Amino acid sequence: MLPVWMENTDSYVPPGGGGTFAVKTIRSISAAVGKLQFQQGRESKPFLPAAARLLLLLALILLLSLSRHLLVLLACTALAMMALAALPPDRILSVWKSALAAALLAFLVLLPAMLLRPAGRGNNLIIIWKIFISVQMVSIFNHTTQWNRITSALRRLHVPGVFIFTIDISLKYIVLLGRLINDLLTSYLLRAVGKNKQKYTSVGGVMGVVFLRGTEMNRQMYEAMVCRGFTDDYEGL
Amino acid sequence: MSCMELRNVSYTYPGEKMPVINNLTLQIEKGTCLAVRGDNGSGKTTLFRLLNGLAFPDTGRYMFEGTVITEKYLKNNRASKAFHKKIGYLFQNPDVMLFNGTVYDEIAFGPRQMGLPDEETDRRTRDCLQLFGIGHLAEKAPYHLSGGQKKRVALAAVMALNPDVLILDEPMAGLDAGSRAFLHDFLSQLKKAGKTLIMATHDEQLVRDLADQVLVMEMPNMEMSDTETPETV
Repeated sequence: MLPVWMENTDSYVPPGGGGTFAVKTIRSISAAVGKLQFQQGRESKPFLPAAARLLLLLALILLLSLSRHLLVLLACTALAMMALAALPPDRILSVWKSALAAALLAFLVLLPAMLLRPAGRGNNLIIIWKIFISVQMVSIFNHTTQWNRITSALRRLHVPGVFIFTIDISLKYIVLLGRLINDLLTSYLLRAVGKNKQKYTSVGGVMGVVFLRGTEMNRQMYEAMVCRGFTDDYEGL
Repeated sequence: MSCMELRNVSYTYPGEKMPVINNLTLQIEKGTCLAVRGDNGSGKTTLFRLLNGLAFPDTGRYMFEGTVITEKYLKNNRASKAFHKKIGYLFQNPDVMLFNGTVYDEIAFGPRQMGLPDEETDRRTRDCLQLFGIGHLAEKAPYHLSGGQKKRVALAAVMALNPDVLILDEPMAGLDAGSRAFLHDFLSQLKKAGKTLIMATHDEQLVRDLADQVLVMEMPNMEMSDTETPETV
């Protein structure tokens, strides 16, 4: 038999304010998970196989890092700009966002050196430029190559299987755990109909559940692999 | 006036071309029960997300108690909280609904949010613990419960808010016979008490006993059937 209060309608008027943190967090997690999923499934028409592009990328970054000639720096910048120009506007924006963030971080790290030793300012600016171009090139590669092609390219370059496996599984599980956090926060949002005085306890609870679920998924995946003949040996990967 | 009304609603997932919900018109009267049926991927959960204000139609409009529910409307905190208070949503997977340290806290979360006095919060929580037969689990961590127990706790946590409308996504999935019979009985009592029920279910008996109308979702078109003669479902 239902309790009396459940048979009646509440005359509840919610307070204003608060409650935006769950909405904001859900939006940012959804965007991040969406980006990761989208990134796994898209690819522009490649002008070179993924392994060749990966090798070219590594060679260019190495060249950029070691060279002290302005000409090399300009050539790499021109190459990066040409590759960037072939992308659609939203991806150009995304590439520039990550490259600018890296350059800004480098600028902040080098700022004390630039202030204390004005004579070396030119060299410091070149380092920031190099970082900007390197991150831009990595980001372009990431935006134009599907993840399964990257792992296949890594295998062709004889990168150890355990390394590829770890990256691959981590990426997949980030998406799964991201979805779990998203669902938990959505469920929180639907029931957070007032002012939550213990907001951080709830957030702690969400993080705790995600940690437990992550551990459980890890164990379950390992057991599933053992059942299919995995013997802690990544040779056949 | 309808409790909920969808008019020519279409919804397409971002990045997809085909709409998962295409030009759907639907009216749900207060105190009635709508059963939603359809294969996996036919858009049942998406429909529930629309009804809960978690997603918004690309075209058409959704009205709840005469108010058009839009993203802009729900950006107002007070309006959003009042809307969510009136609609309870039981997710298909109860795991994603349980984030508190104990079953007691999980159920008390809603009444505490509503700012009810401690005694009233305790009374509601204990009522729910007793009603759902989970009193012995009060101090246990929800995460470590069995699937059926988690579903009971999740439903108790939703019911502690005393919503006017209850949306259930596959409520019978993964339940044993005893829990199914309990849930069947509980939903019948809720309907008698005048609550509006919307549920996605494959349980024929539940549909026959409770549903006033049945929405059959099929891609790409949808059809609506009345269940005054439920044996035709």
